Amino acid sequence: MARYVVYRVGMAVPLFLGAALLIFVAGHLAPGDPVQTVLGDHYTPAAGAVLRHQLGLDRPLPVQFARYLGDLARLNLGTSYVNPGLRVADLVGHALPISLRLAGLAVALAAVVGVLLGVGAATARRTILDSLIQVGVVLGLSLPSFVTAAVLVYLFALRWPLLPVAGWGAPANYVLPVAVLAISPVAFIARIARASVGQALLEDYVRTARSKGLRASRVLFRHVLRNAALPVVTTIGLAFGNAIVGAFVVEVVFNIPGIARVAINAILQRDYTVLQATVLVYTALFSLVNLMVDVSYAYLNPRIRY
Amino acid sequence: MHISIRASDTDRAPAAASRPRSRPDALARWARRDRPAAAAAAFLVLLVLVALVGPAVTRSTYDREDLDALFQPPSAVHWLGTDQFGRDLLTRVLYGARISLSVGGAAVVGESLVGLAWGTVAGFHGGAVDQALMRIVDLLIGFPTILLAILVTGIFGPSLANIVIALVLTAWPATARTIRSEVVSIRQREYVDGARAAGASVPRILWRHVVPNVAHLLIVRATLDVSFLVLAEATLSFIGIGVQPPRPSWGQMIYESFQYLRSHPALLVIPASALSLTVISFNVVGEALGALLDPRCRRGGA
Repeated sequence: MARYVVYRVGMAVPLFLGAALLIFVAGHLAPGDPVQTVLGDHYTPAAGAVLRHQLGLDRPLPVQFARYLGDLARLNLGTSYVNPGLRVADLVGHALPISLRLAGLAVALAAVVGVLLGVGAATARRTILDSLIQVGVVLGLSLPSFVTAAVLVYLFALRWPLLPVAGWGAPANYVLPVAVLAISPVAFIARIARASVGQALLEDYVRTARSKGLRASRVLFRHVLRNAALPVVTTIGLAFGNAIVGAFVVEVVFNIPGIARVAINAILQRDYTVLQATVLVYTALFSLVNLMVDVSYAYLNPRIRY
Repeated sequence: MHISIRASDTDRAPAAASRPRSRPDALARWARRDRPAAAAAAFLVLLVLVALVGPAVTRSTYDREDLDALFQPPSAVHWLGTDQFGRDLLTRVLYGARISLSVGGAAVVGESLVGLAWGTVAGFHGGAVDQALMRIVDLLIGFPTILLAILVTGIFGPSLANIVIALVLTAWPATARTIRSEVVSIRQREYVDGARAAGASVPRILWRHVVPNVAHLLIVRATLDVSFLVLAEATLSFIGIGVQPPRPSWGQMIYESFQYLRSHPALLVIPASALSLTVISFNVVGEALGALLDPRCRRGGA
């Protein structure tokens, strides 16, 4: 187990460095001169040269990359090009908890609803309930989140004004974004739970448990669910990684001041340091979650030894 | 294709296995057996046709504004009505289909070719080359998909070419991984050894023996990927860093419709249904193709 953790973490480190390199290179290939952007109307070749030197942009690229990594290691994400007084780490530090809370709530909701639906479909296989859930799963997986968002906003904020259309702050502001963000993980978790429970129901030990007269509910909870839980747990972890990314669109729709807002403002203002930082944060979170999923899978499944 | 259709006969009706069948006949039987997939395929064919000829037929252009005819309901002139600038909705949604399909089509061709070449070389060569090539794939897969596209179009600007490049970048690593794992097993087959013993060059073995045997996988993947790519383009356009106005795209039309959701929900319903139906159809057809072309897939009872 310890060996696997070391191996898996060892895999993650070069991947993260590679991602940082990719983001760094993209920032340097970007059209436009950041020095000119910062100075704006005050730009003169002399002032430009001074600032370029101050920012270290006149050093060789490998040196700049090494410095960039050094700064990252100290969680120093630099300052915004457009608003030099603004530290990127502060910007991200403000926005990130909002995005994480959104994703966390959505996945918690999705875990409950998805497992219920999946177990329901598996135990009621080939009934109308199963078919309905199956259709719902396909829809949930393929409908774009901004379409479901529009439908829910129309129904619950405009047609029947129960909830706010957009905005942030009050608890009611959470309901629609979390619901929208939860739809795809609900479908994802329900699909895996149905397959996993369906598989477990066919096992010999279930037949044995039934034939010795155990109540159906007891068979389900004692034998089936315990054995079907593993893939579902993994799926919930993966769903969290996806929800962090999925929150991007949801934050745009509902005008939530999360990290997507930071990224989009950065794109619109060509604020490359901020854009680089947001992409890096997303990538780090995403790979961290995947790392935890892989490790927990290895921990939970005694049959898998590396 | 031919082989797998015969295999499916043995699955369902053993007695009919030896009887030769013509392809249209097989197609009709398939359509009867898998109605959702047939309907989805028919929708996609229709969509391609209207995307090609539609904008020429509707007697309007996607950016012709008519400020005297804002938010018109459907009429003889404007079959689906008009939008907030009095532009013909049917023309715009058809033109959006053209954009979605051509961006999705170009991106899927690009990512399939890159993924095929990358995966084939890695899988066939093995060893250090395989290791090196697949670490790069791991790196790119580690990126959350849509974010790579956001990074590229965000930094280099949202031209159609950049959108396609961004989408190719996000999609090819997964294809390369699928192809590679298949090629690793093909490499050890007897017909490859045979070809090698007969003195065939590596490019010839790859082209004549390896690529044809992963083609079915590639077709299924590509169909499913179009669904993802069309959705990704719509997402970029929705966020505002994809297709730029006045050129219409479904994602952007949906974004604009939010403003008028209360009074004119039709502005949402039309592009949203077009997008959703397209995405779902590619998904359904892709899964059906997978069940049809991949004998291992079929056993799952999908």
